Amino acid sequence: MSRRALWILLCVGLAALLAWLSFAWQPPAGVAALHNAPQRAETPTGGDFTLASADGPVALANYRGKVVLLYFGYTFCPDVCPTSLSTIAQALSMLTAGELERVNSFLISVDPGRDTMAVLKAYAPFFHPNIVGISGTADEVAQVARQYGARYMKQKPDADGRYAVDHSSFTYVIGADGKLAASLPYASPPQHIVDAIRAQLGAAHANQLTRP
Amino acid sequence: MNRSLIQRALLLIAAFPLYSVAADSALRIDDPYVRLVPPNAPASAAFMVISNSGSTERQLLKAQSPAAKTVELHTHINDHGVMKMRQVPSIAIKANGRTELKPGSYHIMLIDLKQALNEGDSVPLTLSFDDGSTQQITAPVRKIQAAAPAMDHGAMKH
Repeated sequence: MSRRALWILLCVGLAALLAWLSFAWQPPAGVAALHNAPQRAETPTGGDFTLASADGPVALANYRGKVVLLYFGYTFCPDVCPTSLSTIAQALSMLTAGELERVNSFLISVDPGRDTMAVLKAYAPFFHPNIVGISGTADEVAQVARQYGARYMKQKPDADGRYAVDHSSFTYVIGADGKLAASLPYASPPQHIVDAIRAQLGAAHANQLTRP
Repeated sequence: MNRSLIQRALLLIAAFPLYSVAADSALRIDDPYVRLVPPNAPASAAFMVISNSGSTERQLLKAQSPAAKTVELHTHINDHGVMKMRQVPSIAIKANGRTELKPGSYHIMLIDLKQALNEGDSVPLTLSFDDGSTQQITAPVRKIQAAAPAMDHGAMKH
């Protein structure tokens, strides 16, 4: 075989390998999983929304100047939601009365089919009177969840029609400017929530003050 | 069963906390409790530590309680921040080991509570294991709080 033919063979071989790599090769499962992880998804930006409560509509735009906590959950949830809501309640009870006045907390139900306004009103304040249950149509809730990067999926009902809802369990902290400031993961200690609230209260305070 | 009979049964069982039918069992149940949930919550969960001093792995196969219509064994899988609650057929307790049923992990789910649970109530539970033994326990209803450090006033900015 001539030297020239060998070169051509080598080039064709390399091109074929490149083509195979770009079309057929799949990264190992671990790598793929990392890319699908929520932190790699499009960064949630938060933003305004209007949902319903038993006492009328709740529009985030009306809470400028306040620090707002958001938690996505549902009342049928026997463990994860009560744990997270208890932690939020503990954090709220660690604030001074003055600080608490400038904080509003909302449980957004990802199960509007079962969580009526009346159910939410009886459920959410049980953990702390500051927590208000809100929800909307399935589409409205899905839109707010997308904004904040919350994920949930209704599971198949059992023979009795009961179902669970898989859901991410973050506590979202929204600053006085209405912007998403922090997303605290499940099992964050109450002190972390207090710290995140105080950081936002402090930022709002600093913006209002005109120091000499 | 009528209501007063249930109440009397509850009282009777509450008077003998942690009384075990299988007293010679290698299995021991410690610190059982049921999570206090809002009065209209349809479900709650029971937690405990199960220790196995025997040389054979044991399986918790079933739990029953008069406090709920349905009682199931569950666990949680944390899948990239999404908490997936799933029913499990059994919960293993390794030989000379212990398994903790705790929030965010294994739990006994009490579905369709027959009446609202109040703090301090006692919930009777019957646990059935793969060696044929059963244990009857009562789990107090408890408000669950994460361990919070004592208020440190020195660290507060005034």
